[in-house]
Amino acid sequence: MTQIELRGVQKFFGAVQVIKDLNLKIADNEFIVLLGQSGCGKTTTLRAVAGLETIDEGDILIDGKPVQHLKAADRDIAMVFQSFSLYPHMSVYENIAFPLRATRKSKAEIDQEVRSVAKTLQITDLLAKKPSALSGGDMQRVAIGRALVRRPKAMLMDEPIGALDAKLREEMRAEIKRLHIKQGSTTIYVTHDQIEAMSLADRIVIMHEGVLQQVGSPDEVYSRPANLFVAQFVGSPVMNVADAAVAETASSASVTVGGAASGFEFPRTLLSKLNGHAGGELALGIRPEGVLIRRDAAEGFMAVETQIVEPLGSFDIVDLKVGSKMLRARTKSGFVAGPGEKVFARIDPTQAHFFDKASGKSLDVRL
Amino acid sequence: MAAVRTSSEIGFNRIAIVAVLVVTIIFLAPIYWIASTAFKPRNLATTIPPTVVFQPEISPFVKLFTKRSQMRSPPSPEEYAAAPWWERVVFDGGEKIVRDGKDQVQWSGYPSRFLNSLIIAITSTVLAVGMGTFTAYGFSRFKVKGEADLLFFILSTRMLPPVVVAIPMFLMYRAVGLNDSHIGLIILYTAFNLSFSVWLMKGFMDEIPKEYEEAALVDGYTRMEAFFKIVLPEAATGIAATAVFCFITAWNEYAFALIMTNRRAQTAPPFIPSQVGSGLPDWTVIAAGTFLFLLPVAIFTFLLRNHLLRGMSFGAIRK
Repeated sequence: MTQIELRGVQKFFGAVQVIKDLNLKIADNEFIVLLGQSGCGKTTTLRAVAGLETIDEGDILIDGKPVQHLKAADRDIAMVFQSFSLYPHMSVYENIAFPLRATRKSKAEIDQEVRSVAKTLQITDLLAKKPSALSGGDMQRVAIGRALVRRPKAMLMDEPIGALDAKLREEMRAEIKRLHIKQGSTTIYVTHDQIEAMSLADRIVIMHEGVLQQVGSPDEVYSRPANLFVAQFVGSPVMNVADAAVAETASSASVTVGGAASGFEFPRTLLSKLNGHAGGELALGIRPEGVLIRRDAAEGFMAVETQIVEPLGSFDIVDLKVGSKMLRARTKSGFVAGPGEKVFARIDPTQAHFFDKASGKSLDVRL
Repeated sequence: MAAVRTSSEIGFNRIAIVAVLVVTIIFLAPIYWIASTAFKPRNLATTIPPTVVFQPEISPFVKLFTKRSQMRSPPSPEEYAAAPWWERVVFDGGEKIVRDGKDQVQWSGYPSRFLNSLIIAITSTVLAVGMGTFTAYGFSRFKVKGEADLLFFILSTRMLPPVVVAIPMFLMYRAVGLNDSHIGLIILYTAFNLSFSVWLMKGFMDEIPKEYEEAALVDGYTRMEAFFKIVLPEAATGIAATAVFCFITAWNEYAFALIMTNRRAQTAPPFIPSQVGSGLPDWTVIAAGTFLFLLPVAIFTFLLRNHLLRGMSFGAIRK
């Protein structure tokens, strides 16, 4: 039963502010992923919770008690590092037993707990080995074992699978998720990989330049991004963003992208929902799956020319030239043969996002 | 990389092997000379051309450890027969071993000088490496104000040859009564080695990832515990390499030992040549003393050779 709360946390490295007024509440058993580019302050935030980094202002509370003045050793938190940080001169057994040796547990108790963790992680046959003899995935398991064995109040993971190759990363991702469901402990996980974040998190915390951008479930941050940064950071392939001009037509609204001759057709309600923003500087965001294309002309579809086609196996990404702008559309694989083809496209209004260009904030228009 | 070596590469390789052999022989020749002289009969020690094949003798070592005096006439057959083997080899050289009133064999000055060398070299090495390790850890892990200046200052103590300060040091030592004392030489050698130890250990400490300690801190240990349980074992290679170099410096030091000590705390290096001056030099005894003096460093280095090789290339490659 562990809740973690960050209240108004500020952190400076010299003159550079790496965490700006961060507020976050993490519930018991929640799997929180801190997501952001390198240098966004996510690792610093994690290290501050662990007690490896001091904070300049604010409070860090674990179960309601402020811990920012406590040493790392006294916070009862475990951490898994990107480099695994297994002690090279100790066997796997000793590595896992190490946190228990800091407590006053008897040898028999320690042995029992090490073996039970090893069994959970299926590394019993590795106990006698030295870390240097392990594969990347096994090192990872041992590192997690070392973190789990003490049954800490919370688990912190700093890009724990970032150093593994792609296939292993996917395996370990599933294993971490399985383990979390089974063991259930409050977890903060740091990554720059949005797929990792989406697949693991109960809630994703997106950070940029030390500022919290959005907190929400994977579905929320994907389908209702709070601003342009989140919109473009979450999701692969990346969301299309283009300057847009909205105009009123006889029966509907028209959204012109990249100065094209004609606009995409939108329901008339868009105008009222934009609520005065229609005249201002607008950006349209649309994920590739929201750009619909067909081969023959139809009502509401606009003639466009295909540029590059990227076949990705289960689907293709096709670049469409709309005015001066490229829109990327997701199609069935092989739908477009190659560049220079004439196709017809429209934008699915229900998947469109509108942002205020000046502030980058979403206007939260749902159609 | 070429899969097949060209003839010029093979030629270069052969030249390199010959060059290495020549250099090795040049380095080993004096050691062979000392070792062989240490086992020679006295009359063969200074022959020209040198005697290479001879019946090795142990007598130089017996003479090295005992006090002897010249005999005017050879010992009586009974006396010779009653003497143990090690006394007979001295009789053979026309000398006898000096005994005190209780018929106890009198030791020469060598064993105590050797012991002094061991005590002083080992203690100063432990101190220099110990302090160097802590200092290096501090510089490596914490933000130290004026770190670059401090490290330069530490290094600057090695920029003068130490002998330059020998006379003032001698006067200071005499004033505080540290001359001819073990503690005096220990302080001196520790000071010599400390800057070297700090710099070398800092290189090793910088190589140990911070995450190891951070993992230990999160695992419930204090920084001190993390240092002893995690950092020290990781730094073992560096500590071994540093210790060998410090030990060799302290063990071989001659100039200060000569100036600062004369009896009580005298080390082997100034003692061995001092024997040349007393009477007709017995080169076999001097060679025996030098040969024994070489052994500790040779053994120490041999035991730590794996650490040393790793230590030498440590820090050269970014992992």
